[in-house]
Amino acid sequence: MAEAIQKKLQAELEKYQQLQKDVSKSMSARQKLEAQLTENNIVKEELALLDIQNTVYKLIGPVLVKQDLDEAKATVSKRLEYINGEIQRYETLLKEMERKSEQHREVLSSLQQEYQRAQGQAVGKV
Amino acid sequence: MASTIHDQMAAAGKVKRSKYLPQGVERLKEEHRKVVKDCRSQFEHWKKVENDYESLQERLRTLPDKLSYDIMVPFGPLAFMPGKLVHTNELTVLLGDNWFAKCSAKQADALVEHRKKHVKNTLDDLQKVMKNFQNRADFTDDLEKLTGDTGDFVDIREEVINEEEVTKAKHRLAHKANSKPKQEYLLDLEEDKEKKEGDEEGTTGVLSEEELWARLDELERQEELQDERYRYTRLDSTDTNGEDTTSSSEEEKEADGGSDVQVNGHQKENGWVPTSITSQMNGTNGSHPEDEEEEDCDEEAGNGLPTIYFSHTAEFKKVRINTGKNTTLKFSERNEQKAQAKRKKKSGKSNGHSPHESYKITSPADIYRVFVDLVNGEPIPRKSILKSRSRENSVCSDTSESSTADFEERRAAFGRSWSHDDATHSDTSDGITEEESPTGTSPHTNGCFEAFTSTVIEKDPLPCSIPHLTIAPPALPTIPERKLEEVGPEAPQEPPKWMSKFKATRLHQK
Repeated sequence: MAEAIQKKLQAELEKYQQLQKDVSKSMSARQKLEAQLTENNIVKEELALLDIQNTVYKLIGPVLVKQDLDEAKATVSKRLEYINGEIQRYETLLKEMERKSEQHREVLSSLQQEYQRAQGQAVGKV
Repeated sequence: MASTIHDQMAAAGKVKRSKYLPQGVERLKEEHRKVVKDCRSQFEHWKKVENDYESLQERLRTLPDKLSYDIMVPFGPLAFMPGKLVHTNELTVLLGDNWFAKCSAKQADALVEHRKKHVKNTLDDLQKVMKNFQNRADFTDDLEKLTGDTGDFVDIREEVINEEEVTKAKHRLAHKANSKPKQEYLLDLEEDKEKKEGDEEGTTGVLSEEELWARLDELERQEELQDERYRYTRLDSTDTNGEDTTSSSEEEKEADGGSDVQVNGHQKENGWVPTSITSQMNGTNGSHPEDEEEEDCDEEAGNGLPTIYFSHTAEFKKVRINTGKNTTLKFSERNEQKAQAKRKKKSGKSNGHSPHESYKITSPADIYRVFVDLVNGEPIPRKSILKSRSRENSVCSDTSESSTADFEERRAAFGRSWSHDDATHSDTSDGITEEESPTGTSPHTNGCFEAFTSTVIEKDPLPCSIPHLTIAPPALPTIPERKLEEVGPEAPQEPPKWMSKFKATRLHQK
């Protein structure tokens, strides 16, 4: 009886740990996205400071490709929207994972209690 | 960057939540220090960035000065070669995220300025976070000191021998001249005094007469205690009437039951300033929750602190100013003066009103003059006005039997005066006069009335039908502990000498 509970406990624990890892991965991805968000915001503002006379280049690999100022502005805006969307997605994902991990935590604690009770009984029996 | 700070803050928050002292405090401080260190390093980093931008701006301003510069051009990672810097006004600026723009030096300058703004904002945020965490760290430090075994806090303990005596909460309250007979009181008398003191609210209900008496006794004791406290604030505040603690008024209301005893008299009693008193009454009565609450903030973990064991010596009896409503008032000059005036009228009272005159306290010296211990009839200046004999000793910590007699006399006088008061519904000064009346008090400079605990011999039967929840003769609130001490030695002698008028009447009836 105690062993069965112990096995269950182990399995649950592993699942919980896996979930925690996923959570942290999502967290770091989200942080990266946030950094990109800030950067793109600055780029957008600086593009606004320039005028049409300045040529804008985009670095694609080792090549600087000429771009139109307006095009650049549009591209940057689109990228910003994309990043925001990604962040939202990660947010919901994180919430979901948090909820699941909470459930797992509860299960774990109850299992642990059971296990301890079983242990106590076993000791008593012996 | 900001998110890491948030994470750290969250982590610190979580840590705070889950840990316990002192290990928790250590951990918490550790986290705080980490965050602050992090903040500092980031602060350094951004400061450097800002400086770099500054120098860049300088360069940008000077660059277009010449058409071309002779420079040493880096040639690979290890070599330089002489060359020229041309097109000095044409710059390719990295805007971020793999975007470049060709601009003039001035435009680049503007861009740099814009970036510097961002950097400044970040720096400000970092400053705020750092300050916040610094405050948190300081606070936990303080908290630790407060609750730990360091610091200047010293635990002063006083062993309370007889808890009942200690509780001088409101003793019974005033009753009006026209108060109704006791039987009308509907009180839920609690024999358990402790509970009563804790529960200032009291409960009402239909009670038997005995219960009523018991309740009255208890209230009297509470009142005594209250007066004790009051003593300390007495000299401070001249405002006698305004202060009214709910407990006292409630008690009063309870005591009076149906009668609408004026709360005023009792209110005066209750103007206790907890803060000023509690510091003096460390570790005393468990029965005084207000005090305890306030003390607690100062002296929580008594165990770890150096402890001073404090015990009350015989306490000097204080003057209790009995108002016309048979409540003791806060000792105030106004009352005293009134009392003096009235006293002059009522010359029937025995000893000269010198004791009362001496009560006029206008300077610190007066305090020491007034609060003297009477030992064997001789006034001896008290070392500390905190210390006083028990109230059992009637006028002054004089525990001799004679004092008891004095009490009784005074009590009788009280009774007389009370009846008078009842009739006239006079004001506080009457009470004071009553206090002073006992003949025995002349040697006692303060003429303080001790709560006497012997049986009362009522020379003039009061209109006993009027339940008087009067405060015992002691005019000045005495420290509860004082009573304790007195009770100790006196225990073998007899039960507390002081007895309320009610009790006296009751015994008398019996």
